[in-house]
Amino acid sequence: MAEDFSTDGMLDMYLFENGQLLEQLQDMVLDQKDADCFDEDSINEIFRTMHTIKGSSGIMMFDEITAIAHKLEDVFYYLRESHPDNVPHLELVDHVLEVADFISNEMDKIRNGDPADGESGQIIEELDKFLNKIKGGGDGGDKGKKGAKGGAAAEPPANVHEPPKQFYIAPMATSASRFYRIYIYFYPETEMSNVHAYKSVYALKEIAEDLLYYPEDIISDPDTANTIIKDGFKVLLQAQCSEEQIREIIGVGYDIEKVDVVECNAMEFQQGFDIENGDAPQIPQIDLESSVEEIDARTQEGEKEEKTEESKPAKPAIAPGDFVIKSKEPGKQKKLAKDKPKGEKASFISVNISKMDQLMELIGELVISESVVLQNSDLKVPGLNLDNFNKAAAQLSKISTDLQNVIMSMRMVPLANTFQKMNRIVFDVSRKLGKDIEFVMVGEQTEVDKNIIEHISDPLMHIVRNSVDHGIESKEERRDSGKSERGKVTLSAKTEAGKVWISVEDDGAGLDRDKILAKARRQGLLDDSKPDSAYLDKEVFQFITLPGFSTNEVVTEYSGRGVGMDVVVQNIQAIGGSLEIESKKGFGSIMSLKIPLTLAIIDGIVMEVGKSSFVMETGAIKEFVRVKEEMMIHEPNGEEYIMIRGECFPVLRLGQWYGLDEYKESVEDGVMLILEVEDRKVCLLVDKLIGEQEIVVKPIPSYIKKVKGLSGCTQLGDGSIALILDAAGLIE
Amino acid sequence: MEEMSELKRQVEEDQAASNEHDTQKGKYMTFKSGNEYFGLEIQYVNEIIQLQAITAIPETEDYIKGLINLRGKVIPVVDVRLRFKQPPFEYNDRTCIIVINIKSMMVGLIVEKIAEVVEIKDNNILPPPSIGRADKAHHKYVYGIGKVGDSVKLLLDPDKLLNDEDLSVVEQANEMNNDEE
Repeated sequence: MAEDFSTDGMLDMYLFENGQLLEQLQDMVLDQKDADCFDEDSINEIFRTMHTIKGSSGIMMFDEITAIAHKLEDVFYYLRESHPDNVPHLELVDHVLEVADFISNEMDKIRNGDPADGESGQIIEELDKFLNKIKGGGDGGDKGKKGAKGGAAAEPPANVHEPPKQFYIAPMATSASRFYRIYIYFYPETEMSNVHAYKSVYALKEIAEDLLYYPEDIISDPDTANTIIKDGFKVLLQAQCSEEQIREIIGVGYDIEKVDVVECNAMEFQQGFDIENGDAPQIPQIDLESSVEEIDARTQEGEKEEKTEESKPAKPAIAPGDFVIKSKEPGKQKKLAKDKPKGEKASFISVNISKMDQLMELIGELVISESVVLQNSDLKVPGLNLDNFNKAAAQLSKISTDLQNVIMSMRMVPLANTFQKMNRIVFDVSRKLGKDIEFVMVGEQTEVDKNIIEHISDPLMHIVRNSVDHGIESKEERRDSGKSERGKVTLSAKTEAGKVWISVEDDGAGLDRDKILAKARRQGLLDDSKPDSAYLDKEVFQFITLPGFSTNEVVTEYSGRGVGMDVVVQNIQAIGGSLEIESKKGFGSIMSLKIPLTLAIIDGIVMEVGKSSFVMETGAIKEFVRVKEEMMIHEPNGEEYIMIRGECFPVLRLGQWYGLDEYKESVEDGVMLILEVEDRKVCLLVDKLIGEQEIVVKPIPSYIKKVKGLSGCTQLGDGSIALILDAAGLIE
Repeated sequence: MEEMSELKRQVEEDQAASNEHDTQKGKYMTFKSGNEYFGLEIQYVNEIIQLQAITAIPETEDYIKGLINLRGKVIPVVDVRLRFKQPPFEYNDRTCIIVINIKSMMVGLIVEKIAEVVEIKDNNILPPPSIGRADKAHHKYVYGIGKVGDSVKLLLDPDKLLNDEDLSVVEQANEMNNDEE
């Protein structure tokens, strides 16, 4: 169930990412507010931003934000597809900013632990009007469809139809806690007493260990104001404070006529408002009970049995979308019961990345100064007795090497978290679409640099969503085509040939080559003189990564507008990766992200040619051999081969290849490395091997043009720089 | 009275702000390469370091000497003399690397000798003289000639210095050679 996922980290991520997106959006919009219209890029960008916000808000169940982002996306979808030229630009800017403000507002509320209770209805209505205006009387069918969609999106004010969002404060058991029943009466002439009541609740939250109140939906339902005026506002509070303190917190002001605080015991507390509130509406009552159950369950030992005993099936404790607020914890005890059973979890702290970078730099400096000390020319004076110094120096080197290894491994994070997020997406999307999907994760322990994880999680989300939404067919279609009803999506990760491969494989319908080609031709992407058959599958599938290219006819909440794949490719390219698409119609598709190991740590063999050091990934090396001159075969055209145990390999002399100085000419002086990449083998001649070590790959500065066979550089223990050889590049 | 102090405060603030901005303005790091003195606006200069071990990169232009490790950061270094197609020189104690930062890209410039930081007023900066056919090329990375007392400094546009196409380098080199003759 969805409840099993912890949303805490996701919520932080959501707020952080969307906060950034909104900032960029506003900057861009404001930048162009004086222009006559948005240019193509910004339209695409705004559209994508809204798409992303819509997607992530959908997952986090912030319906109002989803709805409003969807609406704005609709508007920009129209702008992008139809290029209307009668758009009142300033009005559009206003609308975009209004939406951005609304979303940031909601996010602020979420961040502060308040419910996101804004009403998007009005803004959506305005957007609808605006959309209709720029559409003019235009095309019927399309508009009908869109209208219907808009209607659906605008419909919510989610609070109306959905069960009221509730406010839980995670209860804690402390013996010092006291229970209070609080009645707050407002002056009858108080306007919007529900808001005033909320103010009190908000204030009480500061001290509350557990807090329930009635009426429940004071925030979303203005009608509760009347109830509050009539019957008073009732609060059940568990806290470690005295009656006076409570009175002080609520404070009798111009609005509150009277506050009654009655202390009660735990039993009474758990009975909630039932005693005098028999006529309370059904839903809140159930909610109250379930909350009580929760308190029960959490505060007592043997949590699980307790829950099963409590045979009230009313409703599982917390529904997704309700706001769970962890109360402030007065002491150590407040480890929530929820965490208890998990027991042996490693503990983590999050550290600002910039501090890590700084640490890394400092350690780099330390290593350099270390070598300066240890190889200091003052030590070379003959006749010095350096035994003790050498011992101490060895110890120092060991520590600094360890230190370096630790800092490097600190940046590595397993992909498990990211994969878990995808699991959640598959779950949500498949449920909404009524598909039955098995989600398999392979290699989620693969460690990837933190920076890379940040960059791939969005693209991965799009790909997974695509796979579920239009990769996997509906149950009926699957049955008809003789597949099992249950679709399968496999998410796997591995490191190979110095790259991280992350692939999403589904056994769905696959890509329709003909359809893609037809659309590409319509959009004028193909060379008219070339027949369809001249395009390779690979080339054809790459079309789906272009902006605005979607073969899905129906726009859904999840995909089909042709954003997504272009964002994916953009983000992947930004970190120097690539996307490969394989697909077979009727059998499914595989989307593979190939991420370079920029910043990843690899095991490498350090070797020397002439005066230069090189590193080769250990995985690419099959074996080392010392060879004899007579094993060489020279072709007249200068190419060389070598026979090793009856097998013939092409030979590459690294020194010669790169035109280095002072490399060893004779094969007998050097060492041969047999490299293997994707079944192709080559022998590489180097002068000597230095050793194996873990290395952190750094990109070669972009100022230097790409050199074939080099994939990066790294810093060796002595502070010098070694170039990393790319086996695949050398074999080519 | 209040207005007065308010006004005064504001003036002071403005001055402070403009001072901060001005400390770097009009100052140039000068260095010697060949027979000429060149100047770089000081805002581009990150630091000056001693020559250190350079890891050569194969298959690059000869003026790109390779990579150095600057406290864990890998930065490329460019030999300014070779960049100007002047004859190479032997590196010695006085050889320095000026680390410059352009558009958040760090690059080291190997120069024969650091001279000094000089202040050149805008009115002492002349556009480069355009002699004959070479005028186009010259405008590429020497954007002005600064007068300091009796001497002149060729003021470099670091962005163009690093990124100009090779073609113009050749032309400029020809011109330089002509100048030397």
